[in-house]
Amino acid sequence: MKSIHKYLSLAAFLGMMLLTISCHDLLNEKAENRSYTDATDYTKSEDMINPLLGAYGEFQNRGWEDYPLISVRGDDVNAGGLGDQQEFANSDRYNYANTDYWMFNSVWQNLYNDILAANSAIEQVELYKEFAPNPALADQYMAEAKVLRAFLLLQLSRTWGRVYIPVTSDPTDLFEMKVSTKDEVMQFIADDMDAAAGQLPNLRPNQRDDIKGGVTRHTALAMKALANLELKNFQGVADATSAIIESGLFHLEDDYYNLFKIPGKLNDENLLEWQYWDSGVAGGTNLSYLFAFFGPEAWKPKVATAGGGWGFFEPSLKYIKFMLDRNEEKRLVTTVIFTPRGIDKIKEDPKYATLPSYVSVVTPSGDVFQDFAREMFLSGKHYLPSDQLTTGINDYGTNKNFICIRYAEILLMHAEARVQGASGSISADEAVNQVRDRAGLGHLSGVSLDNVLDEKYAEFATEWGTRYFDMLRYQRYDELSYEGRTFSADKTFLPYPQIQVDQLPALTESN
Amino acid sequence: MIRKLLVTLLTFSLLASTSWAQTRTLQGTVTDAAGEALPGVNVIVRGTTTGTTTDSNGKYQLELPGSENALVFTFIGYKAATIDVGGRTVVDVVMEEDLTSLDEVVVVGYGTQREKDLTSAITTIKSEDISRTPAASAMQSLQGKVPGVQIVSSGAPGSSPTVRVRGVGSYPQVKGDQTPVGNEAPLYVVDGVFFDNIDFLNPNDIATISILKDASAAAIYGVRAANGVVLIETKSGKLNQKTRLTYDGYYGVQVAQNVLKMANSEQFATMAQESGSVADQTYILNAMQRYGRSRENPNVPNVNTDWYKEVLRPAPIQNHNLGVEGGSDKATYSLGASYFSQDGILDMQNSFERLNIRARTDFNVNDWITVGANFNMSNSTKYSPDDAVWNQAYFAVPIFPVYDEQNTAAFPIKFASAENIGYRGPQNPFPTMAFNNNRLQSRRVLANFYLKLDLIKDKLTFKSAYNSGSTFLRNREVDLPYFISTDGQRTISEVTKKNETYVNQIWDNVLTFDQTFGEHNVTVMAGTAFRDELYDMLTARGKGFPVTDEQSWYLAQSQEIPVTIDGAQARLVTDDGTHQYGFSYFGRIAYNYGDKYLLYGTFRADGSSKYQEKWGYFPTIGAGWVLSQENFLKGNSVVDFLKLRASWGKLGNDKVQASDGQATKSVITGVYGNSFVTGTYAKSTFAYLKWEVVEEVNVGLTSKFLGSRLSLEADYYVRNTENAVVPVNVPLIGGTVMQNVGVVQNAGLELALNWSDKIGDGIRYNVGFNMATLKNKATDLHGQPYIEGGSAEFRQRTYLNQPLQAFYGYRTDGVYQNQAQIEADPAAVAYNQANVSNPLVPGDLRFKDLNHDGVINASDREVIGSFLPKITWGVNLGASWKNFDLSVNLMGQNGAKILNRKRGELIWTTDGNLDADLAKNRWHGEGTSNKYPSAAGLRKGWNQKMSDYFVEKGDFFRIQNVQVGYTIKGNMLGTNFPDSRLSFTAERPLTVFKYNGFNPETPNGIDSQTYPIPAVYTVGLAVKF
Repeated sequence: MKSIHKYLSLAAFLGMMLLTISCHDLLNEKAENRSYTDATDYTKSEDMINPLLGAYGEFQNRGWEDYPLISVRGDDVNAGGLGDQQEFANSDRYNYANTDYWMFNSVWQNLYNDILAANSAIEQVELYKEFAPNPALADQYMAEAKVLRAFLLLQLSRTWGRVYIPVTSDPTDLFEMKVSTKDEVMQFIADDMDAAAGQLPNLRPNQRDDIKGGVTRHTALAMKALANLELKNFQGVADATSAIIESGLFHLEDDYYNLFKIPGKLNDENLLEWQYWDSGVAGGTNLSYLFAFFGPEAWKPKVATAGGGWGFFEPSLKYIKFMLDRNEEKRLVTTVIFTPRGIDKIKEDPKYATLPSYVSVVTPSGDVFQDFAREMFLSGKHYLPSDQLTTGINDYGTNKNFICIRYAEILLMHAEARVQGASGSISADEAVNQVRDRAGLGHLSGVSLDNVLDEKYAEFATEWGTRYFDMLRYQRYDELSYEGRTFSADKTFLPYPQIQVDQLPALTESN
Repeated sequence: MIRKLLVTLLTFSLLASTSWAQTRTLQGTVTDAAGEALPGVNVIVRGTTTGTTTDSNGKYQLELPGSENALVFTFIGYKAATIDVGGRTVVDVVMEEDLTSLDEVVVVGYGTQREKDLTSAITTIKSEDISRTPAASAMQSLQGKVPGVQIVSSGAPGSSPTVRVRGVGSYPQVKGDQTPVGNEAPLYVVDGVFFDNIDFLNPNDIATISILKDASAAAIYGVRAANGVVLIETKSGKLNQKTRLTYDGYYGVQVAQNVLKMANSEQFATMAQESGSVADQTYILNAMQRYGRSRENPNVPNVNTDWYKEVLRPAPIQNHNLGVEGGSDKATYSLGASYFSQDGILDMQNSFERLNIRARTDFNVNDWITVGANFNMSNSTKYSPDDAVWNQAYFAVPIFPVYDEQNTAAFPIKFASAENIGYRGPQNPFPTMAFNNNRLQSRRVLANFYLKLDLIKDKLTFKSAYNSGSTFLRNREVDLPYFISTDGQRTISEVTKKNETYVNQIWDNVLTFDQTFGEHNVTVMAGTAFRDELYDMLTARGKGFPVTDEQSWYLAQSQEIPVTIDGAQARLVTDDGTHQYGFSYFGRIAYNYGDKYLLYGTFRADGSSKYQEKWGYFPTIGAGWVLSQENFLKGNSVVDFLKLRASWGKLGNDKVQASDGQATKSVITGVYGNSFVTGTYAKSTFAYLKWEVVEEVNVGLTSKFLGSRLSLEADYYVRNTENAVVPVNVPLIGGTVMQNVGVVQNAGLELALNWSDKIGDGIRYNVGFNMATLKNKATDLHGQPYIEGGSAEFRQRTYLNQPLQAFYGYRTDGVYQNQAQIEADPAAVAYNQANVSNPLVPGDLRFKDLNHDGVINASDREVIGSFLPKITWGVNLGASWKNFDLSVNLMGQNGAKILNRKRGELIWTTDGNLDADLAKNRWHGEGTSNKYPSAAGLRKGWNQKMSDYFVEKGDFFRIQNVQVGYTIKGNMLGTNFPDSRLSFTAERPLTVFKYNGFNPETPNGIDSQTYPIPAVYTVGLAVKF
């Protein structure tokens, strides 16, 4: 008995020890449910498009605060949203005292995040390129990502001046990087776009089948023109815009009002847009910009269930009067939505005591706007008529695209370059008159710089701060000093967000 | 040991009954102070080795030799009693419990040790102290009882408190939805199985909770032990114990405490007037138009909604427990069933219900084989609150009602909407409560089986145990359609289903050797453990199902099952899984020389598949010196026991997330014309993470004085976490990435003092005091000046020799009272020159110019407080008199700071209400406040900078628990009536603090939507059959 006990026990003990030790190999098992970046099969060329689509996805997926902060300064539009977001209103009034304001940092981060996403796409496509049967396609994809990056970088530098130009996807590389001046950033964009244009298809974005609405050679050229405009390299502007004009691919949309509505999605006029879609059915997948920011707090929409918004982004009285002086119906009713209080406000000025009938609280689509406390006018270009909403979807502006660059801007940049002495494919008169034709205005001849800038004011109000940057370029600070504001050169750029300075002290040190 | 003694004595008793003439036969019953029969008590004739043990009814019979006249009764946990027999033939004895016994055995992980042999810091809590607290989780009952263990209560039904053992070595991480990751939580070992929390256990089923506080005690659990280990043993039967059935239950009510007072309509209207914002004044006019004017003050709307009062309710809590325990001479058993239910104090479907069944049995098959099995099944249903309500109720303006019959468009309930009086959002929290339904059904099964072999009788044993813990979670989140206004509507019903499975298996093999050579006592243990941890999840969302009947809330009834959410990166139909393996070798040597000199050491080698680094090694050593065994103290009338001990150990923490170790790709959806296409984004912001390593030195003392009436336990520790994983802000693009950034040190002193005595014959009482200090700081940051954390607006920074992630910002220096003060302050003058259009005015905060350069800018910021308390303390009182008993627990903490983010969130929008303290004490003219800005100032960027205005003191004092009990003895009401105890409990009846919020307890010091902690009042009944 005793010995059996001993042997049995020992056998059981040793058996179990051996069994457990055999479990060792399991320690080398890989973690479940991951796609390892280092395990990507770069020989699968059909996957090469994925990183690029990722960069596009990030580019379209925008925080609501990005556009307002980039675009609010200038005499075309005011902050609106009275009583709320006081620091946003202060930015509109060129008062940037609070560097801790959340929106400064948020916009900065959002733009840079997508620049790094574009860089990541470039890095990933480069890895595919070696195995790609058509390396030119890899080059095209990388060029597309560069165009997206250029657009974001341009916004950053126009807003903050000296910024970083990241060329990798790793933000920690910034610690050793030099900050670039605004001119250096613009030159980088111009050169980069020059190289990219050659690798991109000679199409309109809406002609692309592989990536519907994706960037093309002409988007790159547009970016080149915009960067050169900032550098006041007018021949550079004219060269780029001439190439776009000469392609004959782009046309101004006749219906200026609907260009900013559902029918204007992927229009022949558009060179770049943020695309959104709601699946065409309530409850389906829905990607949208948060247009509620621009929406009314009170209205009587034609479709009663349509939702309103927050009441920000108010076209300025100065702009409205400028347009009334020009008797511009089409562009005014597209750009500005009136509330009863707003109309009374215009009439306070005896000069505008009687207004044309198109100044109405009813939009051309039949939605009726009411008074609310936050603002008196609303942005029409960011409004979607309630009857254009997909049935059952009520969020303001859902399914509307957001236009970033359109052909009218190409024409007017061309005109500006021409009046500044650059040579180009069409004359300044011809370019300006094409835009005026569409607006239902008579032709001008012998256009001056003032004519061009006025035309841009009328055409691009509330879009991308175009007016603000135009005025900066010609130091027309008196124009920017309006409705109680005082502008001076030191107000040109926003201050760096405090947390960025804390993390990247080099930002505020001179190079 | 016990068993050995029993067997020996049984043998003796047999011998005794057969021989010796000229003897008397004695018999009697041995009971405890409560009158409970005590089986297994040793009854020995004084001065001999002759004796017997009591049977399962506590009865004994023994032959007393004529020459002898005294009996000695001994039983572990009770004071020895020597009784002179005299002429009696029946000797009944009442044994007195020895509350301060050091012979008690403590569970130390893969074995036990006598408490007096310990060289490390272990605190054990017994079932009586646990069951006094009416709560779903047993951990709640530890609050204020164990020095060095911080319990942060949670008010939501069924949710577990945050438990921190000795500070924060691992920074508390939260998931996207603000739920904690649990990386700072201790390891729970329930009957050998590892768990992340124990909220599935019925507190009544727990026999003991042992907290292994220092590294030396916890090191045997290696890579899991860095945050301390909580060992839980469930109840088991005893050999030779009469079958006993007990009912234990309570019923009570929970009431919200310290409800935050919000500004009422009048105060709110005044603030709006003073803010200078025309829009806000318009909304008040709108409210007066819609709801009329107040009769008392015609400038205020005739509505005054106290939103917190509206969303709160008193809620019942109850627990019923039935248990059976007993044992024969070969087998023991313990069975139980319990039911717990708790409603939340938030007035929505918010409740927790749990049914537990357990069975445990152990068999001595023969003298060398023991087997046992243990099952514990827990079945629970939790309806989670929507915590957004707390935030909504804070910000909802008081000038509109809950219901509004004029809101004819609203369906299915006519809730009011603030949009109807001009505000941007609907604000009303009621739709959130009424149209959300979050159900979590949990099934947990804990099962183990062991086989124990005595290879060499009483010397060498081998134990193999297979333990498994399986958890099945069924989660259903339902959003129902409603309309109250255009921005307060949901057009389509949505249901998210998520099924999760966790299967953890552990196989332990342990060899234990126990030998005594003269004065040398040696215990050697060696073992292996294999861990297999599997996780699997499947989730999907459905949209557009019929809402009327809950039975229709299925994906299959939905019109659509979308694949991604509104183009975001996350997929809605997705799954996930992990499968991790661990393998460990471990061993322990405990040596003691004459109960005087103690040596202790353990070693564990842990292999894990979770990290690139596969193996970690965790050693510990400890030593103790029992001074009271030395000749100079032996027999001392003051000092009964005095032991000095010291230990050093190393631990690992593998709870830090694993996925960041490599660059990963995320999936992003974009729109291309009328189609969605997904792409990928390979992010470069990742960290190569290693597990955290904790190294700790602990010195302590254990002592008993004055006849063991006074006991003092003290410990001092220094605990360093190397490679601490801390969220670091990513430059340029924001967000945080986890990095092993440096060394975090926690150090503190823990003290536990207890006095127990009796007054006369009738009153027994005990008084306990415990406290712990904590000093948390970063001692190495890999050369960086500081680590940026928190959010961009509410910054937290870690500086060298400062607390981890301390709040960082400006220091306020009062409020500018008049223009003259502004003009006299160079910093204000400089600001006003630079900001002519938006200057500082009276009513704005004054900030300290810390660097005295005449301007207020970023370099005037400093560390303004840590979320960790510097001192936590508790007082425990107990007394009994006749059939009455009373216990009182108090606790408190000092030195923690709380970020009042509710006030801070004004920076995002000004559309909401504010608390009454702020409304009443705002600056509104010279001399009215030197603390709070004016109503207009609150909206100004200058005053919204992160400063100590937002960071408040979290000090508090609390009456944690008061219980009064009355015991009804069976013989008081006649025969056969079972012994019963009736009790009244008040849990947290009073909390005193200054913080402007519901409660001063927040897991990470940030208060934005914390569930209030209720007071609980219960009536309890225990009956023993």
